[in-house]
Amino acid sequence: MTSTASAPRKRSVLVEIGLVVAIILVILPVAWMVLLAFLPNVAIVSTKWIFPFWLGNFAQVFEGGVFGIQILNSVGIVVGTVVLCLVIGSISGYSLAKLNPPRWLAIPALALAGIIPLIPPATLVPGLYVTLNSIGLLGTVWGLILVNTVFNLPFATLLMSSYFSGIPEELREAALMDGASEPKVFASVMLPLVRPGLAATGVFVGIMAWNEFLMGLTMTSGGPTAPVTVGIAGFLQQYSVTWGQLSAAGTVAAIPMIVLAIFANRHIVAGLTAGSVKG
Amino acid sequence: MTTTLATPRRRRKRSLFAAIGLLPFLVFSLALAAYPLSQVVRMAFSEIDLGATGFSYSWSGLDNLVRVLSDASAWQAIGNTVFFVVMTVVGSLLMGLIAALLVNRAVILLPLARNVMIWPAVIAPVVVSLMWLLIFSPTVGGINKVALSFGLPAQEWLNSGPGAMFVVIIVDIWHWTPVVFLFLYTALQSINEEVLEAGRMDGANEVGLLRHIVLPLLVPAIAAVGVVRIVMGIKVFDEMYLLTSGGPNGATTLVSQRIQLWFFQDLRFGDASAFSLAVVLMTAIVLAAFLFARRQLGKRA
Repeated sequence: MTSTASAPRKRSVLVEIGLVVAIILVILPVAWMVLLAFLPNVAIVSTKWIFPFWLGNFAQVFEGGVFGIQILNSVGIVVGTVVLCLVIGSISGYSLAKLNPPRWLAIPALALAGIIPLIPPATLVPGLYVTLNSIGLLGTVWGLILVNTVFNLPFATLLMSSYFSGIPEELREAALMDGASEPKVFASVMLPLVRPGLAATGVFVGIMAWNEFLMGLTMTSGGPTAPVTVGIAGFLQQYSVTWGQLSAAGTVAAIPMIVLAIFANRHIVAGLTAGSVKG
Repeated sequence: MTTTLATPRRRRKRSLFAAIGLLPFLVFSLALAAYPLSQVVRMAFSEIDLGATGFSYSWSGLDNLVRVLSDASAWQAIGNTVFFVVMTVVGSLLMGLIAALLVNRAVILLPLARNVMIWPAVIAPVVVSLMWLLIFSPTVGGINKVALSFGLPAQEWLNSGPGAMFVVIIVDIWHWTPVVFLFLYTALQSINEEVLEAGRMDGANEVGLLRHIVLPLLVPAIAAVGVVRIVMGIKVFDEMYLLTSGGPNGATTLVSQRIQLWFFQDLRFGDASAFSLAVVLMTAIVLAAFLFARRQLGKRA
């Protein structure tokens, strides 16, 4: 049995027990927050273990509408950043992978794509602050879309470029022989072939933009101009806010991403491994 | 190879489209990374006044840099960052390696483990910060609730400098072990099963296989993800924001937070910029040293 090529692997009880421990270590902190989100504050601060199910935290978090606006801001930032990164990333990635761009353009582009991910974002905060200020986009969703895009674009471009590199040159040439123009070949032949790349790039950039905090904190004045991550941090500074409400806000921000991790796992894995290598 | 297509006209068209395709990327990166960085440089060497019309700059040479580098809080932030980066890189490499080895051997739990193992990496750092505050908080944290139920003494780690740093390191390792796991798991899967089988035939036990075959084969992947984790560690800002807000007494203030505090809280624009520049340079030196060491080691091997 073990001599066949696809021999079933030996089961090891120790390995499976180790994995149970690992899975618990991952899930427990998340589960604890979600649990607290459904408890009234009395139960949270109590020394006893009581679990009266309660939805009030969520109602209170959304009261007044600011948190809802912050969620909308984040959705806007995610959509804008993903669209910009996919459009620019795929065109520039295609150019790098398939079109032999002139060196005086390609070398600076690759240098920027290599260096930007290495710069700690906080060091750019002073410069970005005065830059956004001078073009009047400080404290706007548009400003945050631009800033998120610049930090994710190197990754998007290089990842798309690696997907385009994987397409055989013959396909491109055949389409050109048929008389299609370069832009047409790109849009109707090449782009549909890298759909997995678009998915991986889009999912990864979307998560990064939804989770972004530092730029949201420093480039907005908080309140209804801020993204959801900054809103959560803001809750902690208000004395009237309870732990249950904080947990509810955190749950609202975290659960969509975890659902994504469950169902778009393959794309996230592709993004995380490639994204981390390149950025 | 492409004789039929390589007419001069076609080639010219192609390189025109290539140039147009790269322009959006270049414009974006220059306008929102290179230009802001140039502003950081300008501010680092200027005395800055915030007047009614906005910022006004006057050249002040190395004044900002000298002041910043003689400021104890700058060196505290640098020291904290070095300690934090070393501990979290080593910690997450170790945990990620263990996770990858386990998942690589898994049968029953394989699909579940492979999925769950990346969850921490998709959660916003701020939310991760909050999650662990709900666990470690001296007043309402889960650990103390458990301790109390068992009659154990309550912990107050977040109230002491070393304790807070310990918590922050644990949190960062929890958050980013998935990245190491993915790298090493991918690398493990590319190891040829026959090599291991041959080792077993020669009488090596599992520990021996791990030490003499698997780990040496993983070295390139470990080095690669090590660089990634170093860069991530230097960038960290959000994770401590809710958990410790850099305290107590700056014990968990890393370089990123130092910059943000000087710029927005103390309005020391020039100092924040000078320190930014210093951090960028130090990052470059650390990375260059690491890559150089890796090459030297690679040559010797």
